[in-house]
Amino acid sequence: MSHDSNSGASAMDRRQFIKISALAGGGLLVASGFDTPPHLAAAAAPTTGLAPIADFAPNVFVSIAPSGVVTLIAPNSEMGQGIKTSLPMIIAEELDVKWEQVTVVQGDLNPAYGRQFSVGSGSTVANYTAMRRAGAAARAVLVEAAALEWNVSASECTTANGVVTHAASKRTATYGALATKAAQLPTPANVTLKDPSTFTLLGTRIPGVDNRKIVKGAPLFGIDVTLPGMLYATYTKCPVFGGEVVSANLDDVKAKPGVRDAFVLHGIAGLPSGVAVVADSTWNAFSATKALKVQWNEGSQVAQRSAEMAEQAVALAKANAPASLPSGARAVNAVYHYPFLAHATLEPQNCTAWYHDGVMEMWTPTQVPSSGHGLVMKGLGLSAKDVKVHITRLGGGFGRRGSNEFSIEAAAIAQKFAGTPIKLTWTREQDFAHDNYRSNGWHFFSAGLDSNGAVVALHDAYIKMLGGPGEMSATGFPFNAIPGSQVNSGKLRGGIPTGYWRAPGDNGNVWATQSFMDELAHAAGKEPLAFTLDLLATVPASPKFDANKMIAVLKLATDKAKWGQPRVRGEGQGFAICLANNAYVAIVADVAVSQAGALTIKKLTAAVDAGTIVNLSGAEAQVQGSMLDGISAAWFQKVTIERGAAAQTNFNKYPMLRMNHAPPVVDVHFIPSSAPPTGLGEPALPPAAPAVCNAIFAATGKRIRTLPIADDTLRWT
Amino acid sequence: MGKYTLNVNGASWTVVVESDTPLLWVLRDALNLTGTKFGCGIAQCGACTVHVNGVPTRSCRTPVSTVGTATVTTIEGIDTPQARALQDAWCELDVPQCGYCQGGQILAASALLKTTPHPTDAEIDTAMARNLCRCASYTRIRAGIKRAAELAAAATPANGKRT
Repeated sequence: MSHDSNSGASAMDRRQFIKISALAGGGLLVASGFDTPPHLAAAAAPTTGLAPIADFAPNVFVSIAPSGVVTLIAPNSEMGQGIKTSLPMIIAEELDVKWEQVTVVQGDLNPAYGRQFSVGSGSTVANYTAMRRAGAAARAVLVEAAALEWNVSASECTTANGVVTHAASKRTATYGALATKAAQLPTPANVTLKDPSTFTLLGTRIPGVDNRKIVKGAPLFGIDVTLPGMLYATYTKCPVFGGEVVSANLDDVKAKPGVRDAFVLHGIAGLPSGVAVVADSTWNAFSATKALKVQWNEGSQVAQRSAEMAEQAVALAKANAPASLPSGARAVNAVYHYPFLAHATLEPQNCTAWYHDGVMEMWTPTQVPSSGHGLVMKGLGLSAKDVKVHITRLGGGFGRRGSNEFSIEAAAIAQKFAGTPIKLTWTREQDFAHDNYRSNGWHFFSAGLDSNGAVVALHDAYIKMLGGPGEMSATGFPFNAIPGSQVNSGKLRGGIPTGYWRAPGDNGNVWATQSFMDELAHAAGKEPLAFTLDLLATVPASPKFDANKMIAVLKLATDKAKWGQPRVRGEGQGFAICLANNAYVAIVADVAVSQAGALTIKKLTAAVDAGTIVNLSGAEAQVQGSMLDGISAAWFQKVTIERGAAAQTNFNKYPMLRMNHAPPVVDVHFIPSSAPPTGLGEPALPPAAPAVCNAIFAATGKRIRTLPIADDTLRWT
Repeated sequence: MGKYTLNVNGASWTVVVESDTPLLWVLRDALNLTGTKFGCGIAQCGACTVHVNGVPTRSCRTPVSTVGTATVTTIEGIDTPQARALQDAWCELDVPQCGYCQGGQILAASALLKTTPHPTDAEIDTAMARNLCRCASYTRIRAGIKRAAELAAAATPANGKRT
């Protein structure tokens, strides 16, 4: 398989480069290693004077050269979820080519590519049929070309591994050999898709297409973009959310080494007020930014603080209290709370923008390229065709890069430096200070048990920040198992920017509800697995929740994890379940807690029904990683708001899960299925933390009702 | 502003930069070796890990003026048997998710395998705990180190002489 699809522009003489570099005091090299779409590569290729041989390009995703090279476009942003490998795999499956023949090229933002958002675990779900059709249509034309060539019926021809075969006459032709002829034929509007039971590529383990480049440190990420004559920028906003610049010591900053300019940007739609510093290197820009002294109008959010929000939440819960429990029911009440979270993508937010010839050309690590395109268009008054977005690899997304403020920051600076490419890089401190945080939340649960320990009522007053995702209703499990369940919502006054954090809503709500269900099972004197299976059996049939699928994954996970075996004090198992993005997930955690309170996660076992598995390796990695991501958040992470700003500024104050916390065994089991694929980047995240918390309870008797776990002591005697 | 001659990936490079510039930014901006990543700037995440005289070092907190004649090796230049085995194992087991931390992970792991050819889980924990993987690909990083240990052992005969 060849994935070296760059334009080959990196062969600059090292000594010459050093000379330029020493003179400029900064970097100077054309971008290399980035994918170049075939039409651009062709345009850049030297002219030979010969007539070009046409590639077969039946649609925007597929092109086959007479040489036999198959180029497939990956339309969506790659942020670690494996989409740059998995979407082209779907095309290749229907096209019937060997994966080794395929070169994958990252698509730019282009309406012809369809849904290019990578959010909501939706890229595979939304593009599955389009990718299949793209591959199948190309295959049909190649078959037609062979049939015409051989004067036989297309229905007598078969395909495999990039070769058309007519068995009766023992003739074969490679796709490459057929490309020129196929290029002259029309593409059929209707094509027959494969029976999924005949898939040969989907469901196998295919390593990520960029792996070899990653392990060699090749430039793939937004922050790696390097253009000739590029300058480096920072953009400083008010630490208090919504604050604005009054004045700044711009002349002092301009006098710092390497600084080319410093200026205030204000009044541009979609761009928060701030100060731009442009220098000849990232370090010089960072250093000069440290010398920046800004007088801010901090605005009204300066009064916000986490401690006061907790008081608001109690008042809101009272104001939104659900109905009282049925008379005679034994009440079980508990309050669960989770904090704000930062996304903390390891690659800080960045964007490179180059305003030239009236066009704003951008290289953006973004999950939603069209959002950055729209922001820049509107904010800077450019037409749609004059804003071009190249999608780079993302050093993590987790929902953070759905919003694109870094795009308009870079573009607004670049517009002032017409002709000069500008790379904007956020410092880690800026990244923590200007996130769209996962909202904090509270659940004030109240359940009623009858004399047999059956749940007769389940009420929840759910409090979160105004705005942003995470609404909840009584239609999900376990509420749908208990008639008359109520979920009332109250909203904190808002003003703190909140947004999509991997598995929005579910990432906190499933922790709370699945922890409370375990608590309820114990209060009812029932074994938690039997308690949950009994409840699942009562859920009314619904297209939105297939209780049988949930029962199947729960039984599989608990079976594989050897649920229910006796354990010594200080060791325990817990489980939790979740339906998200149409995937059904059950997770069992095995933990040990020392008497001193040290938590060790010994093993995680997941069972997942995610429909058809496209790439087994990528699917398994998503489940492994999202479980640990969820546990990392629940164990360690917390953003607190003080004076209208995030108190945590870097990883020293925002610990995250490390190798020494990761369990040595993480088992993932998929339910075999030929149903269409569900989302899989998120669904295994929400149930991981409650599985661990329920295991901590089993080990120690300590119930975790406030996150992060690390804020509490797990000591036991 | 100072002129510094650095030994990076076996070649001599001369740069003219501010003397407090961290090695990280000299590598990335002046030498265009962008495989070394910026993550935090305070030696907390390990994305900027390079080898200085073979020792994993946080380049974001290493001023260029302190490097002197030390040998600097980045992910683009590392070519030890351990690193090659790790790179192969990373591809074989499909370790990277977003991939941003993986250069640093490989440099940390290659130093571990050099001193400890067959590390235990506890030794992996200790050596790798300073390298954050935000995607939490730790399960496969651990498996990748163990696979690389096998690959490196297979490439080196029992008598210790390279074939």
